[in-house]
Amino acid sequence: MDRSLYVAMSGAKETLLAQTSNNHNLANVSTNGFKADLSAFQSRAVQGPGYASRVYSTDATVGWDNTTGALAQTGQELDVAVQGDGWIAVQARNGGEAYTRAGNLHVDVNGLLQTATGHPVLGDNGPISVPPYSAINVGRDGTISIVPVGQQASTMAAITRIKLVNPPTSNLHRGDDGLFRTNNGAPAESDATVSLASGVLESSNVNVADAMVQMIELARRFDLQVKAMKNTDENAQVTAKLLGLS
Amino acid sequence: MNTALWAAKTGLDAQQTQMAVVANNLANVNTTGFKKGRAVFEDLMYQNLRQVGASTSQTTEAPSGLSLGTGVRVIATEKVYTQGSFNQTGNSLDVAIAGRGFLQVTMPDGSIGYTRDGSLQLNSQGQLVTASGYAIQPSITIPPGAQSISIGNDGTVSATLAGASSPTTVGTLQLADFVNPAGLQPHGENLLVASAASGTAQTGTPGLSGLGTLQQGSIESSNVNVVEEMVNMIETQRAYEMNTKAISTTDQMLQFVSQNL
Repeated sequence: MDRSLYVAMSGAKETLLAQTSNNHNLANVSTNGFKADLSAFQSRAVQGPGYASRVYSTDATVGWDNTTGALAQTGQELDVAVQGDGWIAVQARNGGEAYTRAGNLHVDVNGLLQTATGHPVLGDNGPISVPPYSAINVGRDGTISIVPVGQQASTMAAITRIKLVNPPTSNLHRGDDGLFRTNNGAPAESDATVSLASGVLESSNVNVADAMVQMIELARRFDLQVKAMKNTDENAQVTAKLLGLS
Repeated sequence: MNTALWAAKTGLDAQQTQMAVVANNLANVNTTGFKKGRAVFEDLMYQNLRQVGASTSQTTEAPSGLSLGTGVRVIATEKVYTQGSFNQTGNSLDVAIAGRGFLQVTMPDGSIGYTRDGSLQLNSQGQLVTASGYAIQPSITIPPGAQSISIGNDGTVSATLAGASSPTTVGTLQLADFVNPAGLQPHGENLLVASAASGTAQTGTPGLSGLGTLQQGSIESSNVNVVEEMVNMIETQRAYEMNTKAISTTDQMLQFVSQNL
């Protein structure tokens, strides 16, 4: 069989994978703090005898779009958005530290500050426990202050600070649960330069126009690969006809 | 079949839910004490198809792998407890809660429901009830022939009886508060019920221990912002369309294969 069939097949298969990644981005167009996946193709030449024409392609997730999503005003004190670069530290299911930019926080029944996905938010000294309050405020540096129940508004007391980090992007990867982690698993250092805005949420940073164009491009590229496969098939048919006994 | 189709399908599901939430918010734009809902999304787990950092030779490793996301899911539709605006009604049995807290009502099954709808009425026994006829807890009965009823900021209900020169206190309205009001379960009829996520109710006198005060003669209108909902609706519709497009494009790709090969 002509080897070009396999080259075209790998192109079609990997294009479909890239389309999956693009569809995932489109599906998450309303997910707060979502970072669009970026995929790229890499060429993989096959070494061996014959003319060096066999270069397969593989789809790779090369990272995520690190731009900030649009900030949407919500007016809720516990909705926070990281301004510029930086991440909010949360506790992952296995107890390790992970990072997110989805800042729709709430206080659970035990007084623990959590993200909407139920991950406890980390402060400078572990998970943040918020005593009963009548008013709460999150400062620009992540300081949480409350007016304890039954106290005057003048007795605003700072409890702790939300741990904000800003490790280099090259040291981060996205886990299977969608949270980000450092590559070596070690907790990142707090960064005092990261600032939070309260009362706003960061929307998904998926650029829909871009994703739509990407979708068309991938679909057409896929068609081309299939066309190439069909061509190979036709070549083979002609060969069989010419060589066939009449 | 292909994950590309399923990822786009989860997007449709999520936008459908978002639309339902927006529609419910808009439908309740004039519901007294209504708190708007908000759908919260989360990206679904990622499938690791090619491990990043896998060895490509003894000394080198792949700088990038392939992990494909599988779409989105709705994790919660939470209530947003911002204060609604006050409408002056002048009706002496209308109370609005300024600040935190809920009025407690006895539901037909005997359990307690919580509401911020303070458009109260009297039933045939003179008891303070909600618009659905459920009695307010603790129960307050206005004596027959009361000329005027006044409700203080701290919940004290007093009535001036015919022939009396000064009002008599007939009861006190109490408010209940929760650690996590967003965890209350909406029950319909403007009522919410306590859940494991909300915690147990802490009752108290209005104005004390962080609870709001009561305003007689006003009702709290819904906190739905119509413009915001309209923007949400546009966003939802476009996102839905784009996910539909993703499905049809993937479908066409697969169709092309089956027709050409």
